[in-house]
Amino acid sequence: MNHRIVTYNVGRILLVEAALLVLPAIGSIIYGEDTLFAFALTIAALAAIGLISTHSKPEKTSLYAKEGYLIVAISWIMMSLFGALPFVISGYIPNLIDAFFETVSGFTTTGSTILSEIESLPKSLLFWRSFTHWIGGMGILVFMIAIMPKTERTAMHIMRAEVPGPTVGKLVSKLGASARILYGIYCVLTAIEIILLFAGGMPMFDSIVNSFATAGTGGFAVLNNSIEGYNSLYAEIVIGIFMLIFGVNFNLYYLISKGSIKQALKSEELHWYLGLVTASVVVIALNLATTTYHIGDSFRHAFFQVSSIVTTTGFSSIDFNKWPVLSKGILVLLMFMGACAGSTGGGLKVSRVIILFKGFARDLKKALNPRSVETIKVDKKTVDENIVKGVFVFGASYIIVILASCLIVSIDGFSLESTFTAVLSCVSNIGPGLGHFGPASNFADFSAFSKLILSIDMLAGRLELIPILILFAPATWSRK
Amino acid sequence: MHIIIVGQGKLGMTLTKMLSTEGHDIVVVDKLDEVVDSTVNAYDVMGICGNGADCSVLQEAGAAKAKLIIAVTASDELNILCCLIAKRMGTEHTIARVRNPDYAKQTHFLRSELGINMIVNPEYETANEMSRIIRFPSAANLDSFARGKIEIARVRMHSDNPLCDVAIKDIRKKIRAVVIICAVQRNDEVFIPSGDFVLRRDDIISITGVRAELSVFMKQTGVYKQKIKNVMIIGGGRIAYYLSTLLADTGRNIKLIEINEKRCREMSELLTDDVTIIHGDGTDQDILEEQGLDRQDALVALTGIDEENIIVSMYAESKGVNKVMTKVNRHSSSLLNEIGLETIVSPQIVASNLVTRYVRALHNSDGNSSMQTLYKLVGGRVEAVEFIVPDDAQYTDIQFKDLQLLPNLLIACIIRNGKIIFPCGSDVMKKKDSVIIITAGRIIEDLHDIFM
Repeated sequence: MNHRIVTYNVGRILLVEAALLVLPAIGSIIYGEDTLFAFALTIAALAAIGLISTHSKPEKTSLYAKEGYLIVAISWIMMSLFGALPFVISGYIPNLIDAFFETVSGFTTTGSTILSEIESLPKSLLFWRSFTHWIGGMGILVFMIAIMPKTERTAMHIMRAEVPGPTVGKLVSKLGASARILYGIYCVLTAIEIILLFAGGMPMFDSIVNSFATAGTGGFAVLNNSIEGYNSLYAEIVIGIFMLIFGVNFNLYYLISKGSIKQALKSEELHWYLGLVTASVVVIALNLATTTYHIGDSFRHAFFQVSSIVTTTGFSSIDFNKWPVLSKGILVLLMFMGACAGSTGGGLKVSRVIILFKGFARDLKKALNPRSVETIKVDKKTVDENIVKGVFVFGASYIIVILASCLIVSIDGFSLESTFTAVLSCVSNIGPGLGHFGPASNFADFSAFSKLILSIDMLAGRLELIPILILFAPATWSRK
Repeated sequence: MHIIIVGQGKLGMTLTKMLSTEGHDIVVVDKLDEVVDSTVNAYDVMGICGNGADCSVLQEAGAAKAKLIIAVTASDELNILCCLIAKRMGTEHTIARVRNPDYAKQTHFLRSELGINMIVNPEYETANEMSRIIRFPSAANLDSFARGKIEIARVRMHSDNPLCDVAIKDIRKKIRAVVIICAVQRNDEVFIPSGDFVLRRDDIISITGVRAELSVFMKQTGVYKQKIKNVMIIGGGRIAYYLSTLLADTGRNIKLIEINEKRCREMSELLTDDVTIIHGDGTDQDILEEQGLDRQDALVALTGIDEENIIVSMYAESKGVNKVMTKVNRHSSSLLNEIGLETIVSPQIVASNLVTRYVRALHNSDGNSSMQTLYKLVGGRVEAVEFIVPDDAQYTDIQFKDLQLLPNLLIACIIRNGKIIFPCGSDVMKKKDSVIIITAGRIIEDLHDIFM
């Protein structure tokens, strides 16, 4: 394995993070807060380590799948570790494990918090917390590829490890240009949301941080009561729609920007995504209308909550923990599924669910008629058998990771519903769970060990298991 | 520049590598999924799996807006069809590989009537390069500029060479040939030498000059080889066919050994009588002895298998055959140098040099100094490029000592009205001169790129 290239790339990421931390540092100057020292110290530490590890360019620039995975996994862990420092040094989250959990939750766009009193945090820290969502949403290595003038020719291995979905394609022939297009779309959509929220009367600061949290499908709010605290139908509709927008495969926006709207609208994944969202909204709204609220509020909360959960954002407009079991059951299923591949959302991804369903149907048919041969098609194109197999393995690993973590976290002794949904919510990068860890409460009650396990779960979920799991595989570190 | 490369065989891969390192936007198309996957993993390019002559595949590859399509699949017909379709869809330039000898005679028709801009025939070009070396066997490899007026020859320094441990500036004291040493390869490194550079044993030097002066140089340094009269060719493929036709009317005795009897008959129909065709396994040492290997001046190994070519060549060298040439498909120059084989020719490299030159010229179509010739030497790390000085150039009539040239770059020679000048500090460039530039590690597209 080429250790030098791994160190070199991780060093570059730390330098990028140092540069990004300048923004909240400026914020702390503007608002005159006592966090400037914390940010400055973190930036200095990042810059020092980054400069040392990028001091000399590695002689061998060869980079293969293994190095790609390792670069991504180690970068995300280091990034979260250093990103947690401002919270610890400034003393607002004195415990390093708590701060680490909070930062991982930010970068992985989960949005689970250990803070019960969010509003008392200084604005610069709140900004940093939400900014981590925005960075983590599209991926920091993709960001690095976008800003580098020339990418190594095998950087595809890095992109593949960080961008979610069963297959990763490029938009244009050069990786750097593809990454720039993705970030361009991302920035434009974020800017539109900021403007719309601000136009609706939300304060500028809140508009920005809520838009960051929506864009990355994160879910960190700046009010204790999340979006419910604004008590604004307009804000809920804007955020609700934008969450859905950020849950769509970004390749489709590229197609639209090129003028091939028809081709974009033909995407089978989009049809399933919108169909399932509509169906869930209708069922939940009817369920709520017959039990809890009147019909208008039912649709309002059903829409916002479905949009928030399916895109794995995790904002709440109401405490859905108090909803009837059918509605909660649908939300848990949506937690599994998540958003579209190539979006900023987490979960299994809609495209994988489609392949799982089609594969399942095919194998049923094959059981009845063992000689039948059938290929699985998505968007009228045959899906390679290796990808189908990969999707099934991914689905199984996803469940194994959730079950194993549940077992470990259950040491803390919370109810099965609370434990299971908390773990699911972390692996799928959503934020709130149900029961003890519903939208109205937080994750502070977990033991330090459980918080560490959940942090690993969040990273594993964001990076789609393999990059994090290989860190624990002996073959990765063996010299053979 | 948006370039589509259809077919990822050996040539397709070589082109993908060369052109993607030059920074072009490349889309590769191949029928096989695995091949597309491995290309996309190895280079910064986009891959599409499908038939290159299928409209929808070409559409997806962006043929409507592409600047150039290069069709290098195994099938000539598919390549031609692919170019025709892409041209109709809007691709500006098309290059097709056509290598069947039946079509080789109609390249002019393909170009002028069907509108394919360039026809590449790697086998013919390889045979052409080999025939040039056979005519001037002292050089390990030979490239020519300015319609053959000037040549670059590569020579290995053996221990008995009087130039060993001599600095470049002292060479004129020992040897009276008017040549320039423009590049030196030492192990894995390449130098563009300055006057203080000292030559060592086993260096491979590239020298520029006219043929007569090169001959003088070779004679005085003891690497001169006698004129080749008898040539033995092992393997009767397309290159062998082209090489035999190129050498047939030069009065040389050619003996061609081919293992397949049917192919032997075909070759005998196609070729003139001065080629002796032998049916047998040319890699078998007994057959080589029987056919008089020791009487041969040159052996050319052209079988389809690299390993056999290399082994036959080593055997021939050990038997004292004066000039041995080896065709190798999988090109890894450093390893082959260690084995000690002197002249290695690879059809992929020959063809991709031609295509790269076309691409550079196309990319530089806004520039005005037209690139005439481009050779990649020493495994592609050194380039020798020939330009014509344009009429509106700013840098004419300025003495070289007053111009700031880039480091690791050499103006090897200037050809003015058919006269050859090896420039020194007081020389100047004039309009319409032919200028040959040698550079390492840099891409030169226009003559004005050479200045700081």
